[in-house]
Amino acid sequence: MKLTRRQLMKNGLLLGASVPLSLGAAWASDGGLADDPAHGSISLFGVDRSTTELGQGLRQQGWTPRYEGRLDPLALNVQPAGTLATGFTDEAGLVLLTSLLAGRGRVLALGRHDAGQHRLLSHRGPIAAPLAVDAGSWQAALGREYARLATASGSVRHSQDIKRPYGESVSATELSFLVRL
Amino acid sequence: MSTTQRILPKGVSEADFDAALVRFREILGADSVLTEGDQLAPYTKIMMAGDDKDYIPSAALLPTTTEQVQGIVRTCNEYKVPIWTISTGKNLGYGSAAPGETGQVILDMHRMNQILDVDPEVCTALLEPGVTYQQLYDYIKENDLKLWLDPPAPSAIAGPVGNTLDRGVGYTPYGEHFMFQCGMEVVLANGEVVRTGMGGIENSSSWQVFKWGYGPYIDGLFTQSNYGIVTKMGLWLMPEPPAYRPFVIQYDNPEDIEEIVDVLRPLRIAQIIPNAVVIVHTLWDAGTHVQRKTYYEGSDSIPREAIERIKQDEGVGEWNVYAALYGTPEQIDVNWKIVEQAFGKSGKAKIMYGEEAEKRGGGFEYRAALMRGDMNLQEFGLYNWRGGGGSMWFAPVSQAKGSETKDQTELAQKILGKYGFDYVAEYIVGWRDMHHVIDLLYNREDPEETQRAHDCFAELIDEFAKRGYGLYRTNTEFMEQVAGTFGEPLREVHKTLKNALDPNGILSPGKSGIRQ
Repeated sequence: MKLTRRQLMKNGLLLGASVPLSLGAAWASDGGLADDPAHGSISLFGVDRSTTELGQGLRQQGWTPRYEGRLDPLALNVQPAGTLATGFTDEAGLVLLTSLLAGRGRVLALGRHDAGQHRLLSHRGPIAAPLAVDAGSWQAALGREYARLATASGSVRHSQDIKRPYGESVSATELSFLVRL
Repeated sequence: MSTTQRILPKGVSEADFDAALVRFREILGADSVLTEGDQLAPYTKIMMAGDDKDYIPSAALLPTTTEQVQGIVRTCNEYKVPIWTISTGKNLGYGSAAPGETGQVILDMHRMNQILDVDPEVCTALLEPGVTYQQLYDYIKENDLKLWLDPPAPSAIAGPVGNTLDRGVGYTPYGEHFMFQCGMEVVLANGEVVRTGMGGIENSSSWQVFKWGYGPYIDGLFTQSNYGIVTKMGLWLMPEPPAYRPFVIQYDNPEDIEEIVDVLRPLRIAQIIPNAVVIVHTLWDAGTHVQRKTYYEGSDSIPREAIERIKQDEGVGEWNVYAALYGTPEQIDVNWKIVEQAFGKSGKAKIMYGEEAEKRGGGFEYRAALMRGDMNLQEFGLYNWRGGGGSMWFAPVSQAKGSETKDQTELAQKILGKYGFDYVAEYIVGWRDMHHVIDLLYNREDPEETQRAHDCFAELIDEFAKRGYGLYRTNTEFMEQVAGTFGEPLREVHKTLKNALDPNGILSPGKSGIRQ
């Protein structure tokens, strides 16, 4: 029997179908986390190391990341209103994500992480952390910053370009997001 | 850099806009009137080479009923607030969900998403504008109806009403969407509701089966226009055929396009091949799943040598024809022989179907799905080809003649090459016409490249018009320029109609270049 997407959603077969066990294991053994998660869960999308690091930053600030695998923006449609989601995606994923949020959710922050710079856009006021790597990776710093923006009450649009340190190893542009359904 | 400035509709005072918002909230409820920056952010995402600052809405309204739309329109007339209507807001590369100009209020119809009727006997549907292809597909499957849809390529999230109103196309025999539309309900700018075709007859059972009604046929006035807001639309659905054979024909040389079109044309006109065939160039076929940087890092047009490597690695041709046969197995066998004979004559074509086509790679699997009306999002992969989030569809029309196709291909490649962009293109073959669809992909994060893309697109429009080729559809940044290529007499008629139907100019000002 071929199930429709809606039936798959109802049966819970589509979400999280591709969760890499290694990432789950990484979190399970992660140290330096907040003892008592203060803010509840946040859906975390992506499939590589950057996602793991982002999740660590979130956990350090009291969030519980729930790993969802590769971003399927259509899957966001069936998540309850108020759900927070963050992670990394590609150009196609970002196009889908932003277009699906029209009338359905809020874009709290977006990041474009190129070889030379981080370009961050926040709809929750100024970006505080410079994504310095002295306290871990920039992805973890981004996670801490997104953790802060997730609870910030500001409504000012703020964009900021942050130069990346010379010599930092960068393989490709990465795109990050923080949204609320 | 922080931005707090409030966006207002052009020519509307803050006090009047606030009063209009109060009225909108009374009509819709507070939750359906969006004014906060993070809520409006998705309505500002554009992919065309325009300035972000030119496409920021002042608010977004989310009605759920025709009566609410009537109330909104009356309020807009009172306060002279311009609204920009979207259905599902997925016109990606043509303006997406953003307004036509900064300050317009988005009228987002996606919550009007009821499937009002599907009749499996006469194969029709009556839909609200927020219904998506996926939603209708699910409905058909869940009710075990033997009906097929005709979705466009990035299909699941788009909707039949919006796509038809923008005169989009699909890939089954029902590929020319407006041809298969039947009956509309429209809210006019004065707040009145009109039903077209047979819809004006009370209790008519023919609204979705007889297009023409009585007197002048007006449905076309509400496509690619700003004369009314379509709140219901009928469409015809294709009955599931007993058998279906998708196939691909591969040609290896750039100049083969001429032969392909001349062989294909009589088969299309005679309906031997009944579907909207696509002739896909290498870079499109591979670009849905391959990234440019794997083959070439330069910022100029991808060189011939790299294209040849892609063809080799991916197993695709310079031109890749995706088509299908429909009917009984016997009908398909007969027509297949005709197809093989026609394309086999010159010895240049490699014709494949079944297992051989599936093994070939390229876009066969998702193309085969589209040609039987199934959903997929494979073509979103094109946005990863060059990266940077820039995409504009340049889509001129031509006759289905090899000479015109050759002319258009060479002209497009010359202009794209001059500006350093790639020819990522396909032809969609109608009965007698072709839509030459080129995705001008560029890096929107680079201001210089964005300006270059803008200039390139403008030159494409002008140079194609000089040779007698017009666009069938365009993005909001270039609507004015494209309207200009169709001549002043036609524009005057459009303007006269606008003034008669929408004297305050509140409905989607600037859509298709039409203003008061």
